[in-house]
Order: sequence, then structure tokens, then C-alpha cells
Amino acid sequence: MFGPRLEGANGVALRTPTLEDHKTFVHWMLEPEATRFWGGRMFDIRDEAFAERHTKDAESQNSVTWSISFENETVGFTGLFDIDWVSRDAESGIFIGRHDLYGRGIASETIRLRTAFAWSELGLQRVHNWISIRNRGSRRANEKAGYRQMGLMKRYVFRSGQWYDDWQGEVFSPDIPAGTFVPPSTGG
Amino acid sequence: MFGGTVRGKTTTLRVPRDADLDAHKRWAADMRVRRAGPIGRWHEPAASDTWKERWTEQAKDKTSVLWSIDAPDAAEQAVGYIRIRFEGAPHSDKVLLDQFVIDPDRSGRGYGWDAALTLHRWIFDYMHLRMAVVDRIAADDVGRQRILEKLGHQRFGHGHHVYYRDGAYVDQYLYQMELEAWDDRWSGEREYPPLGDEKAL
Repeated sequence: MFGPRLEGANGVALRTPTLEDHKTFVHWMLEPEATRFWGGRMFDIRDEAFAERHTKDAESQNSVTWSISFENETVGFTGLFDIDWVSRDAESGIFIGRHDLYGRGIASETIRLRTAFAWSELGLQRVHNWISIRNRGSRRANEKAGYRQMGLMKRYVFRSGQWYDDWQGEVFSPDIPAGTFVPPSTGG
Repeated sequence: MFGGTVRGKTTTLRVPRDADLDAHKRWAADMRVRRAGPIGRWHEPAASDTWKERWTEQAKDKTSVLWSIDAPDAAEQAVGYIRIRFEGAPHSDKVLLDQFVIDPDRSGRGYGWDAALTLHRWIFDYMHLRMAVVDRIAADDVGRQRILEKLGHQRFGHGHHVYYRDGAYVDQYLYQMELEAWDDRWSGEREYPPLGDEKAL
């Protein structure tokens, strides 16, 4: 399903994605500036493939996706995926395609809005994610929203002559006892 | 996709057959299997027609592989199943173990260990993939933990309050095993004997 509009601070808002947004996201994912910590930079870019994926996201009963708007321009997307409605757990993700806007706090505000929605509107008790430990901006934005390290996968991916480990984080609803945390990472 | 024959010592991974569908129906509805969490639950319980549709989808899916597990005392009946997924397909160098189920009525006979070793031989010796990952082991699932650790998996994560069942949350452990660990520990586990030096032929 798609998420509703959520107004944030500093010009950031989450809004319902459009088919045009989806095409823009994929084109960003084909560029090196935004994909150092992303996938293989290869996609099916036929119009029917975009429409099929967009419909699939809209109809999904175990995910919520948003477009990220900054000063009324679409700059990326975020979402809660693989929602387990029994365990009330989900995986989160974020992609900002406008690399010229990195460092402006857009990810931090997006994650704050998304995490609050997970607790107050979806009734989830936990959200987790996987982030390249070398992607400091994304990791710190998640830590600001309360994510804490729960794992570190060695040699997750090899890129440009280096191994990148992958950081696993989790965050709990304030209404749920949080258990014993592994201390936050100091790597990166 | 469906996986082909990989022979172990006491079990064989083989192509799933229609005759296995009833066992899948039974396992999906068995609380002893389901309490393992996602590694024991490929799908929710359903009617036979739905299971056939699921198998058709599985056969078409190029990012995952399903095997049935045979054992000699089971008269051609599957004693379990394994389903893996290629992480980042189609350019994948990692395998995720999504489901790994042994019929609870045939547990305690070593089938789980032998099937897991056989699967890892396929992953590392035959496919020469870089890593096997299991990110869905319940913290109280000692049986699967022992199998993974005996194979050489390292625990790299601990999620808290992840799976809800029996009226409470249970934690989650995450494991990884790299090709180097396989080569160190299981260098004698080969699908085929070595070929001679070609120059000498």
C-alpha cells in the first residue's frame, strides 16, 4: 500500500508515490552518484515494467511506501517492507536520489516521520534495517531516530577495491520494553 | 526454480514432485513446524489448488530454489524441504536459507544435519558461491543453531523481540558462513573426485 501525506519539518514531507515518481527513482538508481551503497545499477526500464511495479507496490498488503518531498520536489523514496502483522515487525528502507541534497537533514526527518507512523498508525512494535556501515549519513540518520546496532555482517559487498560490512539496526516502539541492546557501532 | 539431485550420506536433495504437496500442506498446518518462525513457514495453510499455484510460481521464480529432502527409510516420501534465495539476483554471490524443515515425526535421526551439509556442499563446492546467510533463527531454536555452528557459520547479529508466538516474543539470531570457512573445515567434501592433470592425459 501507499502511505498518506505526512508533513515534517524543514521542508520535508512524505507523500503518496506516483508512477512518474517511480520512473524518476529508477533513473536515479542508474547513476553512480546515488548508488555507491545500492544495487547493481541495472533495471528493466520498459514503461510496462514501471507500471507493473507501481501497481504491485500499491496493492501490497505488507508494505507501505512513500515518496520523499523536499521543498515540494520529489527527492527519493522510503518505506516499511515485509511487515509481519503478527509479530508487528517491519524492515525499513530509504533512497535519496538527489545527491546534491545530501547532508541537508532530509533522511533524518524522513526516518523520524516514518518511524512515528510505524508506532502511532500501524501499531508496529519493532522496525529493523540493513545499512552499509560505510554509509555514515544513512546510519547516523537512523541512529538519530533511535535505531541501535543489533548485528554486523562481515564482507557484505565488495566495491571499488574494498569490502563493505553491513550494519543491522533495530528500533522499538516506546510502548514496548526494549530488551538488551548491543551498543551502537563506532565503525565506518 | 526447482533444485536437482544433490546426494548426501543419508539424505538426498531432489526435485519436488506433486506427491510432496500433501506433506507441504501438513507441515504448513503443523504448530510444531510453524513455531520455528519464518524458517519453518514458507506459506500459510491452504487448500490443494492453492498449493499447486504456489508450486507453479516457485517453478517460475528465478531468484529462489526449492528442494524436497528424501531419506532411505521414507519410501520416496519427502522428509522435509529446503528453499534458498539468491541475494541480489541475478548477479548474486550470496545465498539466503529461507526455509529448512524436517518432518517433526522424523526428527532426531540426523536428517537435518545431513541435508544441511549436502546443501552447503552444493553452495560452496558445486556453485562456488561466496557466502551463505541465515537471518531467521529463533533464539530458542537450538537444533538449527547447532547444525549451523557445526557447519562453520558465525553468528553476526541478535535481534530482540522479533517473533511472536506462544503468547510471547522470542529473539532472533543471524548467521553467515563464507567460502573460506567451508574450505577450511570441509575440504574433503567434494561432489566429484579431482580430475587428473590434463597434460598427463
